Amino acid sequence: MSALSDYVAAGLASGSLYALVALGLVLLHRTTGVLHFGYGEVGALGTFVAFRAMQSGWPLLVAAGIGTSASVAVAVGFYLLVLHPAIRRGARPATLFILTLGLAQVLQGVIVRCFGAEPERFPLPLADAPALRAGPIVLHPITLAILATLLFSCLGLFLLLERSRLGLALRATALNLEAAEALGLPTRALLALAWGLSAVLAVPSGILLAATLLLDPFFMFEPMLKGFAAAILGGLGSLPGAVVGGLLLGLTEGVVGATLGLPFRNSLGFVVIVAVLLLRPQGLLGQPGKERA
Amino acid sequence: MALLEVTGIETAYRDRLVALHEVSLGVDEGEVLAVLGPNGAGKTTLLRSIAGLLRNQPRKGAIAFAGQDVTRAGAERVARLGCGYVPQDRALFRELSVAENLEVALWRRPRREAAADLHAVFRLFPVLEERGSQQADTLSGGEQQMLALARALLRRPRLLLLDEPSLGLAPQVARAVFEVLREIAGQGTAILLVEQNAGMALGLARRALVLEAGRVVLEGSAHDLRRDDGVKRAYLGLGAPGGP
Amino acid sequence: MRDASDVIRVLGVLVCGLVLAALAPDAWLVRASLIFIYALAVLGQNLLMGYAGQLSFGQAGFLATGAYVFAHLRSMGAPFLLALALASSVAALAGVLVGLPSLRLRGAYLAVATLGFGMAVYHLLAGSDLLSGGRTGLAVPPLALPSGMSRTVGLYGIALVLLVLATLGVRNIVSSYVGRAVVAVRDADLAAASLGVDLARAKLTAFAVSSFLTGASGALLAQFLGHLEPQGFTMTESVTLVVAVVVGGLASIPGSLLGAVFVVLVPTLGSGTSWFVPVTYGLGLLLVLSFQPEGLAGLLRGLRNVLRDGSSR
Repeated sequence: MSALSDYVAAGLASGSLYALVALGLVLLHRTTGVLHFGYGEVGALGTFVAFRAMQSGWPLLVAAGIGTSASVAVAVGFYLLVLHPAIRRGARPATLFILTLGLAQVLQGVIVRCFGAEPERFPLPLADAPALRAGPIVLHPITLAILATLLFSCLGLFLLLERSRLGLALRATALNLEAAEALGLPTRALLALAWGLSAVLAVPSGILLAATLLLDPFFMFEPMLKGFAAAILGGLGSLPGAVVGGLLLGLTEGVVGATLGLPFRNSLGFVVIVAVLLLRPQGLLGQPGKERA
Repeated sequence: MALLEVTGIETAYRDRLVALHEVSLGVDEGEVLAVLGPNGAGKTTLLRSIAGLLRNQPRKGAIAFAGQDVTRAGAERVARLGCGYVPQDRALFRELSVAENLEVALWRRPRREAAADLHAVFRLFPVLEERGSQQADTLSGGEQQMLALARALLRRPRLLLLDEPSLGLAPQVARAVFEVLREIAGQGTAILLVEQNAGMALGLARRALVLEAGRVVLEGSAHDLRRDDGVKRAYLGLGAPGGP
Repeated sequence: MRDASDVIRVLGVLVCGLVLAALAPDAWLVRASLIFIYALAVLGQNLLMGYAGQLSFGQAGFLATGAYVFAHLRSMGAPFLLALALASSVAALAGVLVGLPSLRLRGAYLAVATLGFGMAVYHLLAGSDLLSGGRTGLAVPPLALPSGMSRTVGLYGIALVLLVLATLGVRNIVSSYVGRAVVAVRDADLAAASLGVDLARAKLTAFAVSSFLTGASGALLAQFLGHLEPQGFTMTESVTLVVAVVVGGLASIPGSLLGAVFVVLVPTLGSGTSWFVPVTYGLGLLLVLSFQPEGLAGLLRGLRNVLRDGSSR
């Protein structure tokens, strides 16, 4: 029985990470309509910068701040210099998607160039702390950190998007760009803000992920895909969906891994993607919409 | 000096199809100008180029609003200068509620002023206050038009660009909309009105012009145009040979 | 083949190919073979992405399908052509299956779904010793060639001939009724449907043909490499194909060839550094989509126009 609860705990932890990544992806999609293939790499870049900062002696929070700033700069720069002109030219979402692929590739190369390809351990202060026990469940402090970050992010995003004028402006811009412009909204700045915000979400995910895995240039890739799977499962238009999708995916992976073995566990995310898109494209919590042909 | 001054503009679709030829017009502060014409005459293109929604257009000519050159300015700038645009499809934020649609227009408005502005708008469109929490795309055609107008008004525009406000509306609903437009004009907002329903348009406007195939073919006071034979035949359904 | 000029062109290509085979050093032939093999896959991807407008990010899955089916068949004793045909057909079948989602999804969503397919294939292979040959990988029996012909030349010749056939085939498809229906689907789903074009059939056909070509490419790749490992068919391969199609020129046959040249030659320029390739690919995508949507093919056409009559139109 304890094996199962171990898997559940591990599933919860990984699920929360997927949820964090999914949050960022859904945020971007809800506000800018773009599926960001480079999201993982943006987070990875910030994580590496933070890593170097920590190696140079900066404390965790400051290092994380530096890394986040780097990622925000890249994300916003990419939006303003590449995506926005493309949108202005009337590029289709498919083209925008491929542009984000371009960013992902460039960032990956940059990371390898600047930080080397050797896997390393991310020295998160909590990593060596002892695990806590609550009954039959063993929770590692990192898991708690992940859960806390997830909670915090959800709260922050909710307050921003649903309870503030800025969030309303963001949502409106996503729904109808022309109408927003005709109302005098500073759409370019708003969209850039959304992109920056997504980077703010990406770096903590990256740092937490790096603490649980090893830090190498490609470490964000599959988590990002799982984040995609989670977002799609929960519904791309729905932030709560991202969380639900992430947790569900993580837990299911844990169970599948325990019962069916590793290859199935690893393929699960992709099977989910295909299955959901086929059977219920709007996901669990989303509303039927533009995915259909 | 006119509030809106359009001088000899020419727009081209994809560099080849010329939509507007040498079109000039002027709208004074507080005036209502109607633009009539058949489908495909370029009326919508005219509004969109003034509103700043056409990239790199107009190719030639100049547009000045409130004394500023806005020939190639983007929609945001034009909107900020006080020019509101309501397109044919209303351009509502469909998945947002009525209240949210209105609130978007109050971007950057201090809270107290926002409340007062909303109050004024609800006076003009009481139905919107009733339907506040309803999703915008569940409203009837007339209500959607009112929402679009209310939203544009909340920006305190000096000039409203309206593209076919009566489109798709039952006659009495259209009449109700035009009543509101009359009141808006009465409050001093200038209106540049594109309309297929020439009768209603000429009833509201002081001046009018007729656009055909991208050119201005007739211009004058609404009074005169109503009496013009050509206009009567083409747009008012009157004066058919042998008919009533 | 359509007419006399076609026959001449094909003969011309084959003759050049022969000359190259006779004169060029082995290293060049090896590289050329790889280009031809990739070009097959790029043609397939271009048919799908460029002409049919269906984003597919999982082409590595079809490469892998073709490669592994081929390898297993050859290990069981099947002759080269039979194994090639069967492997490509299996890939085509997989293509139809993967194409089913395309009936309901569009754009980036389809890309993500096909990506899922590609990754699933990889994980399946990586997780199954039986399919993938385990830690030592899967060996492919060498070709039985006429005596005296080196392996290099033999593969080169086969790849060249297949590429020529594929190019002709794709060109015929594209300009045929079915082909134009598929392009109509790309440009305006609803309009095409209202004109009576069978959307489903058009899209699935595109997927089938495209995966057939990609599967064939995978099979040839297997023969070329002589040895297969799942690591060769990851997301990286899918990305490489997308880059080839976009940078070479969407919906362009010469573009497909140029794209193949691009992705085969770029790694050789990087002098062994592993950051050069992704950066170049990424910049290629960004630049092409931002400035020259017709890719290298467009550049080439512009150049030809300039040389011919002094204008770039």
